[in-house]
Amino acid sequence: MVRIRSRSIMKRASIILLLLAWGVALPSPASADLNVFACEPEWATLAREVGGEKVNAYSATHAQQDPHHIRAKPSLIARIRRADLVFCSGADLEVGWLPLLMQRGARAGVQPGTTGYIMAAEHVPVLEKPTVIDRSLGDIHPGGNPHVHLNPENIMIIASVLGKRMIAIDPENAAYYRKRLAAFNASWRRAIEDWDNRVTKLAGMPVIVHHKSFSYLFDWMGLNQIATLEVKPGIPPTASHLNGLLRKVRSSNVRAIVRAPYDPSDGSNWLSSKTGIRQIELPYTVKRNAGPGALFNLFERTIELLEGANAGS
Amino acid sequence: MNTPPRLPIVAIVLAASLTFSTTVMSQDKDTAAILQEIKSLKESYERRTAELEQKIKALESRKNAESAGSAAPASYKRNVKDNSFNPSIGLVLNGKASAFTRKTAGDMAGFAIGEEGERGNEGLSIDETELNFSTNIDDKFYGSMTAAIVREEGEDKIELEEAYVQTLPSAGLADGARLKFGRAFWTFGYLNEQHAHADDFADRPLPYRAYLNKAFNDDGIELSYVLPTDQYFEVGGGAFRGDDFPSGNSVTGLGGASIFARTGGDLGNNESWRIGAYALYSDANARATEEGAVTFNGNSYLYAADIRYTYAPTGNAKSQELILQAELFQRDENGTYNVGGGPVALDDTSVGYYAQAIYKFTPAVRAGIRFSQLDPVDTPAGLVGTDLDSNSHHPRSLSLMADWTNSEYGRIRAQINQEDLNNAGADKQLILQYIMSLGAHGAHPF
Repeated sequence: MVRIRSRSIMKRASIILLLLAWGVALPSPASADLNVFACEPEWATLAREVGGEKVNAYSATHAQQDPHHIRAKPSLIARIRRADLVFCSGADLEVGWLPLLMQRGARAGVQPGTTGYIMAAEHVPVLEKPTVIDRSLGDIHPGGNPHVHLNPENIMIIASVLGKRMIAIDPENAAYYRKRLAAFNASWRRAIEDWDNRVTKLAGMPVIVHHKSFSYLFDWMGLNQIATLEVKPGIPPTASHLNGLLRKVRSSNVRAIVRAPYDPSDGSNWLSSKTGIRQIELPYTVKRNAGPGALFNLFERTIELLEGANAGS
Repeated sequence: MNTPPRLPIVAIVLAASLTFSTTVMSQDKDTAAILQEIKSLKESYERRTAELEQKIKALESRKNAESAGSAAPASYKRNVKDNSFNPSIGLVLNGKASAFTRKTAGDMAGFAIGEEGERGNEGLSIDETELNFSTNIDDKFYGSMTAAIVREEGEDKIELEEAYVQTLPSAGLADGARLKFGRAFWTFGYLNEQHAHADDFADRPLPYRAYLNKAFNDDGIELSYVLPTDQYFEVGGGAFRGDDFPSGNSVTGLGGASIFARTGGDLGNNESWRIGAYALYSDANARATEEGAVTFNGNSYLYAADIRYTYAPTGNAKSQELILQAELFQRDENGTYNVGGGPVALDDTSVGYYAQAIYKFTPAVRAGIRFSQLDPVDTPAGLVGTDLDSNSHHPRSLSLMADWTNSEYGRIRAQINQEDLNNAGADKQLILQYIMSLGAHGAHPF
C-alpha cells in the first residue's frame, strides 16, 4: 500500500512540476527595463546611477559576501538568463562561478566579447599583476588585483564605459542615459576634488590589511600598505605569520589594521590586542539594493574611518 | 594474400632511384650556374631584409613614443600568460583504506546489482583516478573528456566516463537552450551529474547503487532549456543508446529516453533551494547483474525527485554552511528475470531514497550524516529462494562522515557505515579516503 501511494505521489509531483514549468514559460514576461546582472553591489549601484528608472539592476552578491567564493545557485542562473548586461569586476575575481552561470544561463547577448559584457578591470589600469603564477603562491589572480572600484577615478572611467554600453543596447533611451551619465560625472568630479583635499593629509599613513582588497584605495590615497594578515592571498593568517607581523608592526608606526566586512576578524583582533593598534572594518562596498548616492557615501565613510584612525593614535 | 605485391614494389623503388641518380649526374654541368644564381638571389634578399629591419625599427620607436603619451599603462592590455588556448587538464587522485566487519559483501536483498554498485575493496586501494581534458572548441562548442583509470579483476582499465560536446551560448540556439551530445553523466537526480570525487560521502547512497549502477552515463543526446523567468525553471529531455544500466545491451542503438524539470531560488540573502523531477525510460535487453548470475529482459521506468537546501549563516558558503539533500526513486520494471532457472515474469515497483545533512563548521572541517533505504518488490513465486528473494528485508544504510579540506584541491575524509543489506546481519564499515585534484578543476554547480 505504501509503495503504491508513493508511486502515485511521485508521478503526480512530476506532472505538476512539468506543467508548472511550461505554464510559466508561455506568458513571456514583457519588461521594458534593461536588465543588468551585476556581480557585486557596487556595480549594481553604478548601473542605477547611470541607468536610473530605465534599468533593473540586480546584484548577485551582498556586502557581507566574499565575491571570490559564490555558489552558482539557481536564482543566479535565472537572473543571468534574462540579463541584457553582465557587469562585474573581472580580473578573475568571479572566475569560480561566473563562467558556470554564463554557460548554464545560455544568454547569447552577454557572453565575453559582446556589448552586454563589461568587466571593469579590463577598462582601468590594473595593479599587482603577478609575473609568476603558481598555486603555492595562494589564490592569486593572473589578471591582477580585481578590487578596482575603490579608486574613485576608476569609477568615472567605468561609468563612461557603462553609459556607452547602455546606449548601444537600448538606443531608444540614449538621451536619457547621456543626461544621467553627464550629471553623475559632474557630481562625482566635484566629490573627487573634495576627497583629494582630504586624503592628501593621509598620504604615507602605514596600514596593515587582512586581504589585498583595498589596494586601489590605498594607491589613490597614497597610504603605505605594510603587510597583509593573510600569509598569501586566500590563505588564512597563521600564528607564525602573525608573530612575524608583530615585530614588523613595532618597528613601523602602523595606524590601522584594515579588513573588509566579509574577512574573518580573528587575525586583526589578535594583532590589535597585542599592539593596541586600532582595527577598522572599512565598508568595501555598498548595500545590495543601494540606490543612487550610495557610492558617494561609500567613499565618504571610508575616508572618515581612515581619518579617525590617523588622528586617533 | 599479402606476400605477392612485395616483389613489384621493390623493383619499382629500385628503378625510380636509378633514374633519379642518372638525371643528377647528367645535370652536373648546370650546377655551377645555378649556384651562381642562388648566390645573387641571396645577396638581393639580404639587402631587402636589412632595409625592412630598418623600417620596423623606425616604426617601433614611433609607436613607443606614442604609447608613452597615452593614459593607459602597459598593464591595460590583457596578457595571456597561461595556457588558455590549450585544453584545461585536470587530474583527480583518489584512494581509500577500508575495513569491513563482514568479509564477503552480502547481496542487496531483492535487488540485482551491477558491478559499480557493489561494495568497494577492503584494505588499501586507489579508487578511480580521473583524467579530464576540456575546453571551448570554438565559438559554438565546448568539449570535455573524462577517463577514469580503475582496477578491475586485477588489471588497470580505462573507463570512459564522459566524452561530450556541448553547445555554447553563442551557438545560435535560443537563449537558455543547451544541447549536449556524446557520453555524459546525464541530468537525473542530484548526484548523477557530478563526478564521484565531488560527493560528500566516500560511497554513493543505496538507491544510486541499486538503480543506476552508481551513475547513468550512456551514449546519447540531451536538450535543456532555462525558462526566461525570474524564478529558475529548467526543463529538458534526452535520448540514449540503451547500453548503460538500467539498460542492458542495446539492440537498436536507441533504447533510452529521459525528461526532467527543475526549479529553485533563494529564501532571503543566505538560503537557497532547488527541487527537481525526473523520469528515465530504459529498454533493458539481457541486462546482466550480480556478476552475470542474473539477467533481465524488459522495460524499466525510473522516476526520481530531488531536493537540496543550503544555508550559509554569513552568506559565505566557504566559511560555514548547512546542506540538506534528499532524493526519492521509484522503479517500475516489467519483464522477465532469469536467475538460472528460466525466465520469471515480474511487473512491479520498488522504491529507494536517501536523505543527508552536511555541516561545515570551519572552512576546513565538515561533518555529515546520511540514511538510505530500499523497499524491494514482493518476491514473485518463481524467484523465491533465489538471489533475488528479498525475504521481506529492506536494505538500509546509515553513514557518518567527517572531512578535512586543506584547500579547494585537497580533502581527506573518514566515514563509518552501518550497512544492513540483507537478513544475514549488519556490515560495519570504516573508510578513510583522500581526494586530491591537480590542475584545472571546473567549478561545481549548486
